[in-house]
This record gives sequence, structure tokens and C-alpha cells, in this order.
Amino acid sequence: METSELLQLAIAGLKNGSIYALLALGFTIVYAATNVINFAQGEFYMLGGMFAVYAFTQFELPLLVSVPLAVLAVAGIGMLFETLAIRPRKDAEPMALIIITVGGSLVFASLARHAFGSDALPLPEFTAGPSFLFAGAAIERQTVWIWGIVLVTVAGLTFLYSKTRLGRAMRACMQNREAARLMGIDTARVVMISFGLAAALGALAGVAVTPLTSTRFDIGAGIAVKGFAAAILGGLGSPLAAVAGGLLLGLVEQAVIPFSSALKDVVALGVLLAVLFLRPQGLFRRARREKM
Amino acid sequence: MSMLSVKGITKRFGGVTAVDDVSFEVFEGTIHAVIGPNGAGKSTAFNVMTGFDRPDEGSVVFEGATITGMRPHRIVRLGVVRTFQNTMLFDEMTALENVLVGMHARTRVGFLGAALSLPGVHAEERFAREQAHRILRLVDMDDVHAVSAGDLPHGQRRLLEIARALATEPRIMLLDEPAAGLNNVETAQLGETLRRIRGTGVTVVIVEHDMGLVMEVSDEIVVLNEGRKIAEGPPLLIQKDPAVIEAYLGEEASDA
Amino acid sequence: MRYSIRAAVILALTFGVAITPFVMTDRYILRILTFVGINLIMVAGLSLLFGYAGQISLGQAAFYGLGAYTSGYLAKAGVPWLLALVGGVAVAAIGGLLIALPSLRLKGHYLAMATLGFGEIMLFFFTETESVTGGSNGLRGIPAASIGPLEFATPVAKYFLVWSVVGIVLVLAANIVRRRPGRALRAIHGSETGAQACGIDTVKVKIQVFVLSAGLGGLAGVLYAHYVGFVSPSTFTLHYSLILVTMVALGGMGSLGGAVAGTVLLTLLPYVDAIIPGLPRSTVELIQDWTNDIYGMVLILVMLFMPRGLAGWATSLVARFGGRDRAGGSVHQGGGA
Repeated sequence: METSELLQLAIAGLKNGSIYALLALGFTIVYAATNVINFAQGEFYMLGGMFAVYAFTQFELPLLVSVPLAVLAVAGIGMLFETLAIRPRKDAEPMALIIITVGGSLVFASLARHAFGSDALPLPEFTAGPSFLFAGAAIERQTVWIWGIVLVTVAGLTFLYSKTRLGRAMRACMQNREAARLMGIDTARVVMISFGLAAALGALAGVAVTPLTSTRFDIGAGIAVKGFAAAILGGLGSPLAAVAGGLLLGLVEQAVIPFSSALKDVVALGVLLAVLFLRPQGLFRRARREKM
Repeated sequence: MSMLSVKGITKRFGGVTAVDDVSFEVFEGTIHAVIGPNGAGKSTAFNVMTGFDRPDEGSVVFEGATITGMRPHRIVRLGVVRTFQNTMLFDEMTALENVLVGMHARTRVGFLGAALSLPGVHAEERFAREQAHRILRLVDMDDVHAVSAGDLPHGQRRLLEIARALATEPRIMLLDEPAAGLNNVETAQLGETLRRIRGTGVTVVIVEHDMGLVMEVSDEIVVLNEGRKIAEGPPLLIQKDPAVIEAYLGEEASDA
Repeated sequence: MRYSIRAAVILALTFGVAITPFVMTDRYILRILTFVGINLIMVAGLSLLFGYAGQISLGQAAFYGLGAYTSGYLAKAGVPWLLALVGGVAVAAIGGLLIALPSLRLKGHYLAMATLGFGEIMLFFFTETESVTGGSNGLRGIPAASIGPLEFATPVAKYFLVWSVVGIVLVLAANIVRRRPGRALRAIHGSETGAQACGIDTVKVKIQVFVLSAGLGGLAGVLYAHYVGFVSPSTFTLHYSLILVTMVALGGMGSLGGAVAGTVLLTLLPYVDAIIPGLPRSTVELIQDWTNDIYGMVLILVMLFMPRGLAGWATSLVARFGGRDRAGGSVHQGGGA
């Protein structure tokens, strides 16, 4: 295979991987705060694209406004969901919370169908123009936007966790929620904000990708599975692991294309099962004696 | 020969040695207590003795058979049963059903037999229910047999777990802090119950903090501190043992 | 007193099921009710696995598909129906074993994700292996069920075949749940450590119930394949698996009767127009359009406000009006059908 072809696959892998990384971050942040896997994470991704399309086409707001607006709106929905559906039962057995988030994913998807219809909806690229050429491979402008978004996000999260009070509170909750609460941290607020943040990250991923793939009410489940595969590949331990898992998954997916392009869709599933069965703690987390 | 033989058990968690070369013998028909300050390794020793954990070194022998590393359900079938510090009852099931589950190892009806109502299924079910009622009567709880375990008051929950353990027809029962959370009256009743259990031929080992109960009912006491055995003997000797007093006083001093 | 009420209800329902095809000759209604029956078989399995043993599975559709495709393929190849049925159930059961073994140590979300992943992989398999499954076009021309010279080709015959199987399955399941194995399942859900301390080989029991529920899913799939005559991958989706979970949750964990009620209600939901003839067209369309939203909301609302489901609600009603149990607790809930 030529270098340029290899490079093209790598670029595609890193593009998809960046999306998975954002979703994996969302899963990780919610899990760290609540020990719950949010099955509705994929719907936040879908809603991000949907709201952006809506703002752009119905209200004719420029992308510069539509995109952040969409992300904020979905963040709000995430916090609302946590407040209404999760918090009242936060002490219930994990089963109940799993079911609630599954129900949430069903509700969001069907509400989206009511609100936005069942067609695939497009969004223009953030900046129009030709693709960049790099060592014989083409990099679309939107891809650069995606990478930029992920970099800024990771930088932002790093700043949040290390330099802000909120971030330190979130880290404390990640370590030990009881101890954090006893130290006076408002854990309920941290949980709500975690959900909002995760929703925002999902929405960001969704908006960034919509110009390339269009959005539709039912794309949530599929992307959620990939995001979760990425999250546990890294190991639900840290944001960095989530990003690493996402990028790795994106690259591995591309790696099977020369063999069979149909297999690409099932790579994430294979990775998911392989990690769960063989190394549930993921690549970057030491095995813990906790219940899996 | 002793009934239950703990030989050189060592268990480490990361850098901490929770149990360090602990050995003792439990003789049939006795009430044997394992005591020690907090963090002495008592519950860890129990976990190792009942198959809920594997030791890093050492072995546990029950009536001649090595049971270290055996899965818990097999150890129960051999006749070694335990209760837990935080009662592991089935809260959504009634008291009677909890005891019935205790009889699992002594009954046989499986998925196929139950589904097809094969011969003997009816009889076994009836027998099991009669037995379960009998056991509940033993602990004075038959009147609440239809109450969900989760709705029972704390004292009765502990009794129910003991009843459930009795249903496994054990040769030896290991009770992990059975008196925790009980008031004086309930503790005295517990002591009575333990003696009655011993009277039926079941050997009892308890981990306990309640010194009054321990000194009252035990035939033999083992004292652990920081994972090591520091004394063993009958209550009168243990009460006067300087090492034991030091270990407990040390704990009090550090609490002060 | 309670037992004879229960017996009377069951008798009445059996009678109702038996005479329905003669009272309602509308093929549309018969079709809907046959699907209720097929769903009941699927939910019986899921109820044992999830409702009783607490093992969450988001991939039951996979076993449905395995049973349907296997039986359909075998029957088309000339295998007699009964053998094709056994084949379908066996393949589904083996599938259950294959997913259960590596999943035994997983709990909660991890188990949910593993079963979801398995279901999605199976769907991919059904869609891609054209030579065996017909790919996205599916398997067509599956012959109707037949035992010897007796062929179940008419809607009424198919209805009775399905519901006879439903009757058998429910009786067997009820026998299981009210006896030792059922208690073992509920014990595992209540406290797996506690169950081990009672001498229950939790690994073995979990495998057994997984395989059993997979086999029942396969059985439902077999009946489906020979009822509809063709099988396509679009039936075996995650969405269907989630709806099955909703049915069990609505009914109430640990209650077979509740699961039956939940299944009937949620299966009939989009077909209200057939059940209640007088409903205005606009209401019917509204309900049909909002069916999925209702499924999702049911899941959330049941978990928030009615965690014991319909069965728990019914039990508390009985307790309030019966007033027998004074010691302050739920009266013998969940032990039986």
C-alpha cells in the first residue's frame, strides 16, 4: 500500500477517533461522577446536530451562533435529565439507573423524530473551501475543525480539572464521593454539571460531524456503542484514557478496510466485547477488585 | 483431631498484610470466639476460612479435607456456613423464603424437575417448607414468616440470617459480628441462641466486639492484633493476658 | 382465598384465549393477538433472566433471530418442522451459552453492554451472511408449521399453535419460579454473595438461566418464522430488545404475572384501534405516532414512581383492601405467577 493511502486511512481514523474521543469523554465524566453508564449519550450527540440544523435553517442564525447555541441547549437538556430522572433515584440499585438512561435514550430519539422529522438533515461545513493536501493525502477542512475542537476541549478540561474549584470538586468526587460530600462539596451540583458537560461534549461531536454525515433522529444508538467501546478501551478512569481509547478505536477501524470494508462497522462491537471479556478495566487502568 | 484447622494463613492486600501467619484449631461442639481490635484481620480470616477469599499462604482444613480456595458454595455443602457483618439477606423475599433458600444445598429440585413437576418435587417442596417453619420457630420468628426480609427490624434480620444459616444443616457456623447493633436484651437472647445451637451439636465460631457476650458464651478465644495471633485460651485466661490488655488499651489510647 | 381468585383469573383468561378466534374472526385482530403470544414467549425467558435473576440483557433479539433463521433455513431445506424447531431452539440456546460464559463476571452496565454488543453483532451477521440468511432481503418462502400430516397454515391454526406453546411455556415458567430454582434466581438477584453462602452455585445457575432464556427466545423466533413465512434482519433490532426489557420492567421485576400483563399492554398499545373499536381516528393515530415515546417514558416513570411495576402496584392494592398482613410488609410478593 502506498504511503499516501496509508496516510489517508490514518487521517480518517484520527477524524473518526476524535469523535469517539468526545463521546468517550462524555461517558467517562458521567461514570466518574455517578457510577452510571449513560445510555442516552448517543442521543446528546444526535440532538447537537439537530439543534444546530434547526437554528441554522429555521431561524437562519449563522453557524457561528447556531453551533454554540446547540451545544448549550443540549447541555441544558442533559442537566434537566439528570435532575428529573436520575437524581430522584440516585441511591437505587444500578439496574434502575441503567433502565432510566435506556428509557431516556428511547424518549430523546422519538421526541427528535416528532420535532425534526425522520429525514437526514444536513449542515454546511463550518468553513467552506477545498481540502488541504498533505503528503499526497487530502484533509477536509471540517476534519481540521474536528481536530481543533478536540484539542481545545482537552485543553479546556485539563484547565478545568487542575485550575478551577469546580474541577477540583469534580476530581474529588471521582476519587471518593462520600469523602467529598463530607468535606463540604456539593456533590449533587457536581453530578448535575457532569451530566451537562457530558451532554455538551456529545453535542459538540454531533455538530462537528453533521456537515460530513448529516444527522437523523435514530443515529444515537449506533454512535453510543462506538463511544462506549472507546471509553472502556481506554478504561473508564481518566479523560486522557478516554481520548486515547477514542483515537485508537478510530485507527483500528480504518485498519480493517483493506481487508473488508463491511467489517468496519463491526470493529467497534468486536473491541467492545473483547475488552469486556478479556480486560474489563481497559488498557490504561490497573485491574481493580471492584465489581464490574 | 480438631474439626476446623487454620494453618498459617497469610493474606496481603497491596502493601498491607491483613492476616499474618495465623493458626488455630477449632474443636467440635465448642463456641470459639475470634476477637481483636478494629483492623485486626478478623473478617479477612473469616473470608479465607469460608471460601470468599484465597490466602496468599497457608491452608484451612475441615474434618480432614483441605478447603482453601474451594468455591463458597462447595464449602457450604461440606457443612461450613457463615453469616456476614452486613447481613446479606434477600430483602425482597419473605423470611420463610430466605430460610428456604438456605435449604438449597440440601434439596435437589432443578429447572427441569420443577418445570415438569416430576415425581418428588411436590414432596420435597412440602418438606422444605415444614423444615423452614420449624427453623423459624427455633428463633421465634415464625409469626413473621410472610414479612419481607427488608421490612424486618435489625435484630430480627440478624436472627433471620442465623436461621438461614441453620437451614444449610451445617456442622460448623461462622458468625461475623452477630451482635452488632443489638441492644442488651437482644444480645443476651443471642447468647442463649448460640448455646442452644451448640447444644444441637453444631460448632460455632464468632467474630465479635461485644466482650460481655464473648466472655459469657465462649469455650475458647483467639485474639488477633494487626493480623497476628497474640493469644488464645479460655475466657478467664484471656481476660488476664497482658498482651491482650495491651492491644485493647493501645486502641483506646489512640482513640483518646 | 387468594389462590382461588388466581385460579379463576387464569381459567377465565385461558377460556378467553381459546374462544377468541371464533368470536373475533377479523384476521387483523388474530394477527395482533398471535404476536402477543410470540412476545409472551420471549418475555417469559427474559423475565426469568432479568426479572427474577436480575441479569440485565439488552440483546434478546439475537436469540429470536437465531431461532427464526435456523428453523426457517432448515425447513426450507426440507427438514420436518419439529426437527427444525428443535434446531432453532438449540442454536439459540448455544448462542446463549456462548454469550453467558464470558459474561459471568460482568455486572450491571458492563453486562448490559456485553449483551447489547452481542445483539448488534448478531444483527450484523444476519444482515451480511447472504448465503445463509438471505442478507438484508431476508429468508423467504418459509413453509408453515406442520406436525406429520397436520399443517398449521390458516390464521386460526397458527393462532392456536402459538398460544398452545404460550400456555405450556407459562406453566413451566410458573413451576420454576415458585419452587427451588425460582428462589435461587431471586436469591442471586437479592445478594449474589448471600446466595453463595447458602450453597448456590451462582455461576452454574446464571449459565442455566441464560441458556434457558435464550432457548425460549429461539422458540419464539421459530414460531415467528413459520407464522409470517419470511424472516428479515429488520425484526431483530436493539429497539426490539429494549421494548422487551420495558415489558418486564413495567410488569415488575420478580413477577411472571406482571411480565405477562406488561407484555400484553405494550404489545397491544400501537393497535388500540383493534381493541377499542370506537376510538376516534385522531386518537389512534396519536397513540401510534407516540408509541416509542410511550415505551421510553414507561421505562423512566416505572423506575421513578413504581419500581415494583404493575405487580407491586397490584400487591399493594390487595394489601390495602385485604389488610391481612399486619407486620408491616409486602405480602408474599413475587413468589408465584
